[in-house]
Order: sequence, then structure tokens, then C-alpha cells
Amino acid sequence: MTSDRALMRRVRQRDERAFTELVARHEGRLRAVAARLLGSRPDAEDAVQRALLQVLTAARSYRPEWAVSTWLYRILTNICVDEIRRRRVRLEHRAAGPDLPSPGGRGSVDGAGALIDIQRALLKVPTEARLLLVLHYGDGMSYGELARVRGISINTVKSQLARGKTIMRTALEERSA
Amino acid sequence: MTTTGKYQQLEFEELLRARLGFEGPGTGGPAPDASRAVGGPSKALARRVFASARWRFEHLDRIRDGFVVDASGRGVTAIRPGRTSEAAGSAARRLAAQGREELLQYLEGERTFFQVPVDLDRLPDFQRRVLDEACHIPYGEVRSYSFLAERVDHPRAARAVGTALGRNPVPFIVPCHRILRGDASLGGYGFGLPMKADLLALERGTPVLQGCATTRIVCRVGCAALRRARPDNRVAFASVADARSIGYRACRLCRPADR
Repeated sequence: MTSDRALMRRVRQRDERAFTELVARHEGRLRAVAARLLGSRPDAEDAVQRALLQVLTAARSYRPEWAVSTWLYRILTNICVDEIRRRRVRLEHRAAGPDLPSPGGRGSVDGAGALIDIQRALLKVPTEARLLLVLHYGDGMSYGELARVRGISINTVKSQLARGKTIMRTALEERSA
Repeated sequence: MTTTGKYQQLEFEELLRARLGFEGPGTGGPAPDASRAVGGPSKALARRVFASARWRFEHLDRIRDGFVVDASGRGVTAIRPGRTSEAAGSAARRLAAQGREELLQYLEGERTFFQVPVDLDRLPDFQRRVLDEACHIPYGEVRSYSFLAERVDHPRAARAVGTALGRNPVPFIVPCHRILRGDASLGGYGFGLPMKADLLALERGTPVLQGCATTRIVCRVGCAALRRARPDNRVAFASVADARSIGYRACRLCRPADR
């Protein structure tokens, strides 16, 4: 199997087959991360598509020193974070209109109550800490990798994760109390 | 919060891992996953993305090769198809060159705001007010024609607003593409609707706030300070407050916190 780096070299020359292969390898995980961060499948779909477009148009700026997956995650989280920002602005603009999409996946009300509680608690956590929580517990990303993806030090990763967990736990205890 | 014991902490970790974890084998690393076996949807996705990238490059070439920027001594006056720019005087020439550079950066997704001033003094009063108001619509967002009509105190003049925008002499810099019809359909656009849709897609896909991981400063995308940062050091932020929460500070050049 060709390495990711070799694939990226070919993607830079706008090789469609290499790009298709790269997408096939990473798409599933990217989609899962985006779905957790944005809380809805269609939004996740959209974010992944935009991230991949950026991979193509910014392929020149990729350097072989970095792991391809780190670079992909950086691009994807950048886009998700911006989407979160846009939602916030939209909320302020419309002053809480009635047609807001509920962020914690609707459909499965029965049976998955605990999951919805967790999702709700997650939404209470500030953006940066939420991002780290999802990537660390959801995707099993290491502290070092998180630091590289979000441009912060390992110590900041640790303190943000601790802060996020405290906020989540308080939110969960409030609900069950 | 240290009221809970070590055991409970571990339990909570387990809970998070179980609840937030993604279904499917393997954790971390680019492990091949279920969607690979299917093959179909991911192939279609790749093809779609590849096609839209080609579109984007075509627009870029079209603007770069076929358009010129005119300027007066006070600001950009027009962006129009042609070969030679009309700019009399050194100040005008400098502004025209700056306008062109910022325009190309904008189209490449490297810039989310324009610093170059526009000169709309020769336009009729109503149109100037409409265009001024349009400039306040932030990057990546859209408004309706009637919204703009209300903002210029002519709430019933949505059609006239459309006409005023349609004659916008400085497209892109005055973002007339960010105005849609009330039912969210695209309305009209001087360069054709595909261009309007692609511009909006470009704006949706470009983060507005980015920080540099080495300097720990957060800027609006397009800021001169940020352009010096290596692309691999750039991180997007949802708000300046978020950036501050992990130890970044706002740039003093582009002042992202003031918006």
C-alpha cells in the first residue's frame, strides 16, 4: 500500500486517483469527528466536503514533514470551528428563531437517553475544550497530537481537558439531581 | 473539582470514552475503516470535490486574466472586464494595485476582509447608501434584499435595492454576492449565478479568525501579520474569546476583537 505521504505528493499534481484513494482512507474518521463536533450528520457531510476541497486547493502548502492525518485533522477542525462560530452569529442575528436545528441529534430519543445527556453536557463546554474532548475521547488522539492539531502546548491540552470534564460532570450531575 | 475520588474519576473517563467513542475498529491513526469496504460513496465524494476544485480554479483564472481594477486618489472606483487599468496619479495607481492584490487573495481564500478603500462618490445617493450598507454584511454570511431595503430606510424598495446592487461598480469588494432573495434562492448576479454560488461556497469554507501557533496571536484572515505565519502553524478560532481561553491574544493590526 502506498504511504499517505506518497499519495499527497501525487495529490499536489492534481492526480484524481490519488485523491480518491486518500479520501477513501480518511473519510470515515473525518466524518465521525465532524459529526461529533457539529452534532448533525448533514452538517458533518458538508464540513468534510469543504475540508477535502481545501486539501485540494491548498495541497501546495502541505509539507512532507507532517503526518498527513494531522494535517487533515487540522483542516477539518478549522472548518468545524468556523461553522460553530457562524452558528453563534446566526443565533444572535435572528435572536433565537423557532427553526433552529437542535444540536443533539433528534431521531433517537428512546433508548439512547444517556448519549443525549452526554451530548447536551458537551454543548455546555466552551468550544476549544469541547474540541479537545471529542478528539481525545472520541478519536483516541494523544496529547501530543492534539497540541499539534490545535497549535497549543501539551500543558494547555491537559488543563483544557480537565476543565472541560469538570464542566461536563457538573452539567450531568445537575440533570440527574 | 477534587471532591470525587480517584476511582470515580477513572469511571468518568471510561464513560466518556464509551459514549464519545466512534463505532468501528481501531483508535487513532489512519486505520482503514468500514467506508473503505463500501467504496461507492467515498468515490462519489472525491469526484464531486475534484470537480468543484476545477471550477474554483477556472473562476480565479477568469478574474485574474480578464479583469482590471480602476481607482481614483481616494479609493477603488471599479472592477471591470478589460486589459488596462484607469488610474491617474501615483496614489490612484497604488490603490489600484492594492485592490487587485487583495482581490486575488480574496479569491484564493487567503483574505476575508478588504483594507483598500472604495470611492463611490460619483454614484447616486440611494445606490451609494445601499452599497455602504452591503459592506457591513460580514464575510461568510448572507442577507436578503428586503433586509437591506430596511437598513436604508426604504422598506418597500427591495427591487430598487436589487437594481442598485446589480449596478455595483466594485463587485467582490462591495459584497453584493452576499445578498439573496427572501426565500433563500440566489436572486441575480452580474457574473452569472454559478459564480455567485461558488463565491458563497468559498466564503463558507474559509475560516475568518486564525491564530498563529508560534506567536499565539489571533488575526482576521488576510491580516498582514498572519500572512507571515507558515500555513502549518495556522489554527482557526470560533471567536476571540475562545482563542483567549487557550492563551492567544488579539492582533493589534487587524483588531479582530473590535468587530
